Amino acid sequence: MKAVVKNGIAVFSPQGFLDGNSSNAFMSIEDIEAATNLKADMILVSLKKVVFFNRNGLDIFIKLFFKIRKKNHATVGFCDYDSKKYDAIKRFFHDELYFSLFKTLEIAYLFSSSFKNQNKSILIYSSDKSQRSAIAIELHDGGHNPIIAQSEQEFNEKKEKKDAYDYIIDSTFLGQMGQKVATRVTGNAIIYTISSFLDVEIGDKFNIEYHNNSLNVGFRLFIFDAYKVISMNVHALNFFSKLASSAAEYNASICFVGMKFDKTPEIFRETMEDAGILFYAQMDDILENKELLKELGASSASNVKNKRALNKATVLELPKFIDATVITLEMMTNAKAVKEAVSVHNLIIEDKKGKIASSIGYYGDIDGMVILVFPQGIAKKACELLIGENTDDMELILDTLAELVNIVGGKIKTLLADELINVNITLPRTYQDVDSLLEVVENRRGVQVDLSFNGDKFLFFLTR
Amino acid sequence: MANMITKDKIDDFIEKIPPAPKVLSETIALLNIGELTKAAKIAEGDLALKSYLKNIVNKPIYGFRNEVSDISQIFGILGVSLSQQTVYNYMITLLSPKKWVLFKLNAKTFHEFQANLSKKWETILKHLNIDDKNIYAAISLLPASVIVTEALFAEKIDNVNLLRTTKALDFNTILIRLCGVSLFDICEKIAKKWDMDESIAQIIQASSGVKPSSDEKINTLGKWMHLLLFYELSKPEFIEAGLNDFVDFQIEYISDIYDEFASLMGVE
Repeated sequence: MKAVVKNGIAVFSPQGFLDGNSSNAFMSIEDIEAATNLKADMILVSLKKVVFFNRNGLDIFIKLFFKIRKKNHATVGFCDYDSKKYDAIKRFFHDELYFSLFKTLEIAYLFSSSFKNQNKSILIYSSDKSQRSAIAIELHDGGHNPIIAQSEQEFNEKKEKKDAYDYIIDSTFLGQMGQKVATRVTGNAIIYTISSFLDVEIGDKFNIEYHNNSLNVGFRLFIFDAYKVISMNVHALNFFSKLASSAAEYNASICFVGMKFDKTPEIFRETMEDAGILFYAQMDDILENKELLKELGASSASNVKNKRALNKATVLELPKFIDATVITLEMMTNAKAVKEAVSVHNLIIEDKKGKIASSIGYYGDIDGMVILVFPQGIAKKACELLIGENTDDMELILDTLAELVNIVGGKIKTLLADELINVNITLPRTYQDVDSLLEVVENRRGVQVDLSFNGDKFLFFLTR
Repeated sequence: MANMITKDKIDDFIEKIPPAPKVLSETIALLNIGELTKAAKIAEGDLALKSYLKNIVNKPIYGFRNEVSDISQIFGILGVSLSQQTVYNYMITLLSPKKWVLFKLNAKTFHEFQANLSKKWETILKHLNIDDKNIYAAISLLPASVIVTEALFAEKIDNVNLLRTTKALDFNTILIRLCGVSLFDICEKIAKKWDMDESIAQIIQASSGVKPSSDEKINTLGKWMHLLLFYELSKPEFIEAGLNDFVDFQIEYISDIYDEFASLMGVE
């Protein structure tokens, strides 16, 4: 069984009965291998469609997951259960609960280092005091506003006021959490939270693909929240120095906030400053200072000139990129997709109103970014297979458009692999209006292709 | 075109379903009126059927100590309802592909799947005090859903895999969303083509878990069949074959019969 990966979480969804025999069958050696290689923050088993499980059934998954975790530091556990199943799991494992339990997948997303869903008000209750605070701390680190209910009674009273909270968390347990570097986005800045001792492992824990994707899509300010860092060694120093020099190519700034040098050699600071890293005492020193923000490149990504030109390698493979898009659209809509016009210039969008977009980056032997721009109604049609219902829920449509472009990215990867060109794809990104897209790609040259299916037009743009 | 699946392809598949072979329809007609010996005599004329029957009833799940090889003996042991059910099982295998691509199945594992479902369906019907040969036969049609999926999606295996790494969509949902036809609608077409009793198609439709029947009895049977399907699809060999999530398991649909099912099947 293959995992579905979304927002940095890989989910396996077995159906039916989970016991010692069946659980083993769900994960073949290739599945385990594939899951290990996923750049996921979490690997979870959804119990939504499981009608029966016993301890053995869960145990096998846990053992497999810990093997995976050893290699990629992901959080592992279960999600999507009712209180009956939650109680059963707690009973089976009582004092050996090393994995995590998330009542729903949506709750799990809040703990992933994916950049979605920040600044949410979240009501928390757990009968276990230490869990209550562990959950609150994790959420706070992720940029949310947790509110703890101190008793069941308080929780029940508070949760009546549904509108007061974006999310309500109960029946959730944090086991050993992933040690990935948490990421959040504030305005046009990306904040990474790092802590304790930083050594060679920072290379595994830091999601370099996400970082590169962010650079590619136009983020220019990266802040390391280093209040909780105790010290770093020379390997970590090298890592940050390299990160800073690659950021310089994009004219991006890297800042450290709250870093203390009592246990880290002062000379490291100088080396880092030489590499272009800036140090600040408080987060607010940056975030509250509009002038500084502008200077650091966070006020608008469009100010930054991107000098990376389309190169021959990319143009040569252009048909593959168009094919991937056409094939995906045909697969999703049963309609024939047609190429109407091709031109090379900066992205031009006539009539910006009511249009949404999504993009996906690829990197490896060649690199760049594919952008699809749709009128909203046509995006809905293109995503019909994935949505399955008629909806005007903008969040759902954008979310599904991200899934669509992710499939396009997967197809690009396989089509290029046929030519022995190896690329990986980044997380998809969506834009709810054309202006936010233009902030990222304005002034970039690229190939623009007008495509249509069933007479419905949309736009394909390939750039670097 | 890179279409996943089109209405034309479905129509083409239905078009190509062969009519029931004469020997089989005669055998079934005779079984229907309880003429076991006459039915056996006709059935002897179809060597493939004979070998299938032998193979099935000698599986451990049928629990016969000595090998049975004579068709009249087999029909005699099985009785009318189970004989008819087994002949229908054989008819369904006529639709199965020579080589499975989408699912990691072969003739042997597919027969195993049929035998397990049939035997447990018998246990369920006995428990529910139902003795209706059409209801016995209904279970035979269920594995046709697997065959239909294989036939429609085998060529599109890469697309399906790509789609399913991004979204957990089952084949029935893909089919309904793209063509407005469900796997179980196609099973119903098979039933019609082979003149199977109407109640059989109704039970199969309800067993999809997404199309409850307004007839309470049919709906209850649909629930039992839906749960039985996933009980079987949780067996290691069928999980490994890739069958576990080929259709969506509707837990809520079966919630009111679950405890009874679990105690009947000895789930602990």
